[in-house]
Amino acid sequence: MATLSTTTVENSATRAPHQGPPPSENKRRGVPRAYYVMLIPVLVIFTGFIIVPALLGFGYSFTDYVGYGSFHVIGLLNYATIFSDPNILQSYAFTLVFALVTTILVNLVAMAIALGLASRIRLKIALRGIFFIPMVISGLVIAYVFNYLFSTSLPAIATAVGFAPLETSVLTTQAGGFVAIVLVSIWQAAPGAIIIYLAGLLAIPEDVYEAGALDGATSWKRFRHLTLPLVAGYLVINTILGFKGFLNSYEIVVALTSGGPGTSTMTVAMTIFTGFTSGDYAYQMANAFIFFLVAVFFSLAQLRLIRTRGVSL
Amino acid sequence: MTDIVPAESLSAARPIGSSQVRRRTLLRSAGGLAALGALAPALSACGGASDDANAIRFESMKSETAPYFEQLINDFNASQKTVTASHDSTSNLVAGFVRGTPPDLDCDNFDVQTALFITRGVLNDLGDLPEAGRVRDDIKELAAQYGSYRGQTSVLPYSITAAGVIYNADLFAKYNVKVPTTWSEVIKACETFKANNITPIYATYKDTWTVQQGLFDYVAGGLVDSAKFFTALKAEGADVSSSSSTSFTKTFTPAVEKMQKLRQYLNPDAASRSYDDGNAAFAAGKVAMYFQGPWAFTGIDTLSPKFDVRTFPLPVTEDPADTLVRVNLDLACWIPRSSQKAAAAKTLLSFLFQDSVINKYNQDNLAFSPLKNAPEVTDNRLAGLRSYVAAGKFYQGAGGYIPLTIPARSYIQGFFISGNGPELLNKLDTDWARLARRTET
Repeated sequence: MATLSTTTVENSATRAPHQGPPPSENKRRGVPRAYYVMLIPVLVIFTGFIIVPALLGFGYSFTDYVGYGSFHVIGLLNYATIFSDPNILQSYAFTLVFALVTTILVNLVAMAIALGLASRIRLKIALRGIFFIPMVISGLVIAYVFNYLFSTSLPAIATAVGFAPLETSVLTTQAGGFVAIVLVSIWQAAPGAIIIYLAGLLAIPEDVYEAGALDGATSWKRFRHLTLPLVAGYLVINTILGFKGFLNSYEIVVALTSGGPGTSTMTVAMTIFTGFTSGDYAYQMANAFIFFLVAVFFSLAQLRLIRTRGVSL
Repeated sequence: MTDIVPAESLSAARPIGSSQVRRRTLLRSAGGLAALGALAPALSACGGASDDANAIRFESMKSETAPYFEQLINDFNASQKTVTASHDSTSNLVAGFVRGTPPDLDCDNFDVQTALFITRGVLNDLGDLPEAGRVRDDIKELAAQYGSYRGQTSVLPYSITAAGVIYNADLFAKYNVKVPTTWSEVIKACETFKANNITPIYATYKDTWTVQQGLFDYVAGGLVDSAKFFTALKAEGADVSSSSSTSFTKTFTPAVEKMQKLRQYLNPDAASRSYDDGNAAFAAGKVAMYFQGPWAFTGIDTLSPKFDVRTFPLPVTEDPADTLVRVNLDLACWIPRSSQKAAAAKTLLSFLFQDSVINKYNQDNLAFSPLKNAPEVTDNRLAGLRSYVAAGKFYQGAGGYIPLTIPARSYIQGFFISGNGPELLNKLDTDWARLARRTET
């Protein structure tokens, strides 16, 4: 964004000052109407389907509305109760830890695979296609299949081999459920990150590496001092988008553990969604608003952290 | 991230004044369109009122009986010329109320969600219909136990299902185990089966409703008067805690202790088994008892069990006279207050409540008719439960009284996995108090 305004200022400064172009020239030199034609419908839809419902939900969060019938305005009671509700607090803790762990792991895995796919290996194109497959399958389908693998196939294999720790399904404990959800999330999210890293890696010009080879750089030094700084922008994108995405994780958790055992692996999105089916709409709208603030906070914090490190997007 | 727009076109920008005007016009028009967009739903709702007052929508979401009701609706339409009914089995009820388009007559499972419709006052009063007078009072009472609205009759029960312990009669005969009538006989039966490497009771924790419906409700129902307990609990409201005069901890501890005793007789892989796995395992013949209702018979039958399938109600005390059977209103009919076609809907209701229709439905679907003077159910599998339903010795499952806000089913599943009874009851107490604090009951 910074580049746009500087260009405009520079150029208008070099032109001869005048009162303003005659009205007929406005249309010729203004931003073409085509941009507005493309923008307005999307703006209307966005406002109508996202902004308006969000505002409605926020308004209802001060009542005990269930979506129909009579209701009372109860002020901040919903918000006050949320901070003493162990189920909600636990879901926030779980979601934050999960998002952090998964973001880090996804980026490590994706970077490693992307480095491999960018190098001169055989069957490069075929492998890139194969690694892309998890991205095209719906998260829900993936999670149901993995649910079956974890709860039936893995115990069967473990029993046959005699490996005791895996004989009971890993999904029946909180720790095991957490690991399973992380693994499946990585499996699904890695292709997206790989694509972005691959684009970044392939954009690095060869002469950088040639210069490095001349200076006698080992592969680790090459990675640390040449590759990494040049893909830093892509790392930033993946981290911000990834963290935001994992904060919202719903489908994989629903299909893998349904928040079980008990309510120990429920994420915030799952908890909010139960508000629709359990007649607790207003309470969960309050929860949703708080979640919105949390997500905005983290995104701004990340952006700030990145700007202070001088990485340009 | 490179600029998409080439710098040249932007360098030809007009002076600040005119582009600001342009932006303002843009925002104004976008706002205007958005406001119109927000109005549109209100306008379309107005338009719906001109529908034909004799074309009604009947809804029943129970998938197992959808073809049955489809046929009934066709019969209704053929039997008279005034009202035309259409059968819907998929529309979401809550969404229907939110949008202001609920079905004109609904016939669905009566649960705590229906109770919410009742207490929020969105259902019509059916109390002065002749059909209301033909339903047994003790069964009408069941509907009122979850809550009522200004004393009106909001639903009319259509079908009662009785759920007990489904057992493999051949296995019982093989090991000389007779049908238990006291709690100690239940334990003895479990011991016998366990000693002979037969799974005494098959549990399926993965589907949390099965744990609440069977293991929890059967044991709690025989020891706790749920209707009385929950009325007292609602009165206690936000003061509920482990030490208050009415609390889960105080009343349910004996029941939870008995559930703990049962835990050792369950299949060890229960936590990763689902409802379908349970039906399959029971049908395969290596399980003695299965805590499920008659809906499971459909699943079990498709796997062609090669043994005699029967049921008995679970005794939880030493006195056989205390034994009760768990029932629920599998189908109950209601008409929304906002419906413009209540008169037409009531004619369909009368048709469905004719003796020949309602009693035949219940016979065909392994359920009990709620009418006074209903004929006896003949299916052998329900023989053990018949007399209890006829005599009114039943209860509605305790788990069903708990509002869905409190994830009781998940808690119960967690209890059966961990075995920590006090934790379950304490969680229920604190959640109940917290919910009462922020809602007006």
